[in-house]
Amino acid sequence: MMTAEALLLPVGDDLYALPMDWVRVVVASPAVTRLVTAPPIVSGLFNLRGQIVALLDTAALLGIGTTGSAAFAVVVDGPHGPVGLATTGLPQRCVLDVPAGESELGGTDGLFQVGDGIAVRLDPGVLLTPERIGGQETRPDLASIAVG
Amino acid sequence: MDADQVLRLFIQEAEGRLDQLGQLLLQLELTGKDETLIRSVFRELHTLKGSSAVAGLDEVSRIAHELETLVDTLRVGGRPVTADVIDTLLRGADQLRTAVQTAQDGGSRRAGVPPTNGNGVHPQRTAAKPPPPANGIATAPINSPPSTGSLPTPRRSGESPATVIKVPLERLEELTRLVGETASAHLRMGRMLKDTFKIDPAACTEFNELSRLLNDLQDRATRTQMIPVSTITDQLHRAVRDLSRAQGKSIRWEVDGVDTELDRGVLHQLSDSLMHLVRNAVDHGVELPAERQAAGKPAMASIRLHAMQLGSEVIIAITDDGRGIDVGRVTDQADRRGIDTEGMTEQEILGLTFQPGLSTTPFVTDVSGRGVGLDVVRTNVESAHGRVEVRSEPGAGTEFRIVVPITTAVLRCLLVEAGGQSFALPFHRVQVSQAHDSTEVVHAEGRPVIRVDGSTIPIRGLAETLGLSEGRPGTGPLVVLADTSRRHAFQVDRLIGQRDVVIKALSPLLPHLPAVAGASVEPDGSILVVLDPPGLIQRARQADQGRGRPRPVDAPQPGRRSILVVDDALTIRELQRSILERAGFAVRVATDGVNAMSNLAEAPSDLVLTDIEMPNMDGFALTEAIREHPTLANIPVLILSSRSSAADRQRGLDAGADGYIQKSGFDEASLLAAVNRLLGARA
Repeated sequence: MMTAEALLLPVGDDLYALPMDWVRVVVASPAVTRLVTAPPIVSGLFNLRGQIVALLDTAALLGIGTTGSAAFAVVVDGPHGPVGLATTGLPQRCVLDVPAGESELGGTDGLFQVGDGIAVRLDPGVLLTPERIGGQETRPDLASIAVG
Repeated sequence: MDADQVLRLFIQEAEGRLDQLGQLLLQLELTGKDETLIRSVFRELHTLKGSSAVAGLDEVSRIAHELETLVDTLRVGGRPVTADVIDTLLRGADQLRTAVQTAQDGGSRRAGVPPTNGNGVHPQRTAAKPPPPANGIATAPINSPPSTGSLPTPRRSGESPATVIKVPLERLEELTRLVGETASAHLRMGRMLKDTFKIDPAACTEFNELSRLLNDLQDRATRTQMIPVSTITDQLHRAVRDLSRAQGKSIRWEVDGVDTELDRGVLHQLSDSLMHLVRNAVDHGVELPAERQAAGKPAMASIRLHAMQLGSEVIIAITDDGRGIDVGRVTDQADRRGIDTEGMTEQEILGLTFQPGLSTTPFVTDVSGRGVGLDVVRTNVESAHGRVEVRSEPGAGTEFRIVVPITTAVLRCLLVEAGGQSFALPFHRVQVSQAHDSTEVVHAEGRPVIRVDGSTIPIRGLAETLGLSEGRPGTGPLVVLADTSRRHAFQVDRLIGQRDVVIKALSPLLPHLPAVAGASVEPDGSILVVLDPPGLIQRARQADQGRGRPRPVDAPQPGRRSILVVDDALTIRELQRSILERAGFAVRVATDGVNAMSNLAEAPSDLVLTDIEMPNMDGFALTEAIREHPTLANIPVLILSSRSSAADRQRGLDAGADGYIQKSGFDEASLLAAVNRLLGARA
């Protein structure tokens, strides 16, 4: 059972709610270094007090386009270590207490009413897995090597 | 000392003794009735029996006693050392290990074990009450199957408990990490001195002294996690032994260079892969004795593990003298899977065996042949920043070669800029870095190439290769990178410099990126991406092929000089051959001194490159024979050996060698430099 306390992540016009238990820290305007040859879902790497953290394009991760430049990075303490989720606006704390239906996106587990808007709650245990992020893996493909 | 402390001590001791017992039993099987070995086995079992009794572990003591009784019959000549007896003893050793493990988990400790006295023994056991007499262990089956699928980490044999302490691995990792962080902070401090206080850190004695100390500390910290390859070879030996017996095959297990050390984590990552390759070799590399004899081969096959350090890398080769890989079968399988093998070389087709679903055998067994495994081997090796290669000759055998860095913690790197971003290139992979000279860059096969050491090497923009920009010819410097068999030049925007880089692994969440080795935190806090040259070369080659160009070929020079490579190790021979052929030399190979002299009698070479330790005639004797030969005496001889003592070097020079390179300090550049120097001097 997830906690009702969450951090609201603005991504374009959408709001995503990240349960507070998963949140380590929010970084404003992270200095991101591009990770060459990585799939588009990986925006790059940034330095979190000496630790190298991957910043993920939240929209791409959810399969709804691209986030664009990250105004903030929300560092999630995931099962595979810390990872950043890019947001386009300042994340804010909230309480999710009014369910608004089921969500359809993979890696999410419900809709909640927040003020006048709707927030989609993220399920980091499902969303932040190597299989999901590496789904667009660029490992050399034999067929492409052989052609030509 | 309380009972728990006694138990902990026993478990610590038993681990080493069981490792030693396993080694002794495998040796005993090879040597037959070796009284010294039998006594050693007896002694280990006897000690285990006594110690376990003191620790209150009756079950361990009972098993040890039964095994001891069996070994006693061998000792007094009551029965011969047969494979069945060794089977029984090995299974008994497995049972002992299981019983000790159970005790460690707290499951089998005898209820009501009284505390020990001040001397650490149970008072009522000081009379050494013997365990129950044996009921005839040969007839009391010990049914635990041999556990060859997993690899515990035994300690190095011969290490005395007095000089070795056990430290939890996480403490060592934390230590190494903190030392790395300290080194990074030191670099940042240097930056601050320069930027804030306008002090040049290079001119500051204290800063330089601290740098030196930190370098030493980093080196020592890294070494704390290095372990020899021998820590995993016993389990591999056991696997070969058990599997070959189960399949009715006769196989000799050989090891060489197992004192070679590498990072514990790297070796751990490789252990399953090595086990897979060894089981693969037994299962469908090696033929049955009758088949071998029909093919004119000795009935007893051999599987060999050869480890060696070359520069900052370790190569572990698993070689068998079996039937070799059927290239035609691999091609058929690839074709059926829609892979276009047209135009592929035989070596490239062999490389397809690392693809999922492709198998090297027509048979599916419970051991191998299901088309899974070699792709997992490749994935595991790549995750250790290494690579795996295969060479095979029909009827003669197969060699799988795993190449990994000794450590992945700190690497000397060349820093470059490309596409507006800085990158680090591990220095041991950098062959040449030079300013762009339009007169040296020519076009061949529709692309720019450069000549280096007599070879033609394709050029590609680094930014273009990494997808940072479109390909446009530039005027930036060129960096030639090499892996063990290929070279490629990359054009960069500028060369920044070189320094040690503390490499950190990327998040396990991220997919494997073959061209990226890791990343580092820069003194200014930014992130520096460390590239992986073999992956980069592969990426550039893929891009070249994608544009429909023929494969790059390192062309040999016309009228090229000839070199005879003499080494009994296939891996070394082939590595040297590939390096020298790429550099434009005509290369012949010989397996020992006798073979070399025979080759030279047929046709002399311009240079002989030889190992020392070889069968029939070693490198010293070969050098002397060349010097004494009326027509060969002037051929330069270069020794490449793992022997590092000053005495060996002197002996080589006394024998008449013109140069002596240690394998541990060997790399492609140093070999070519030595060869060119000797050939130039004699030209």
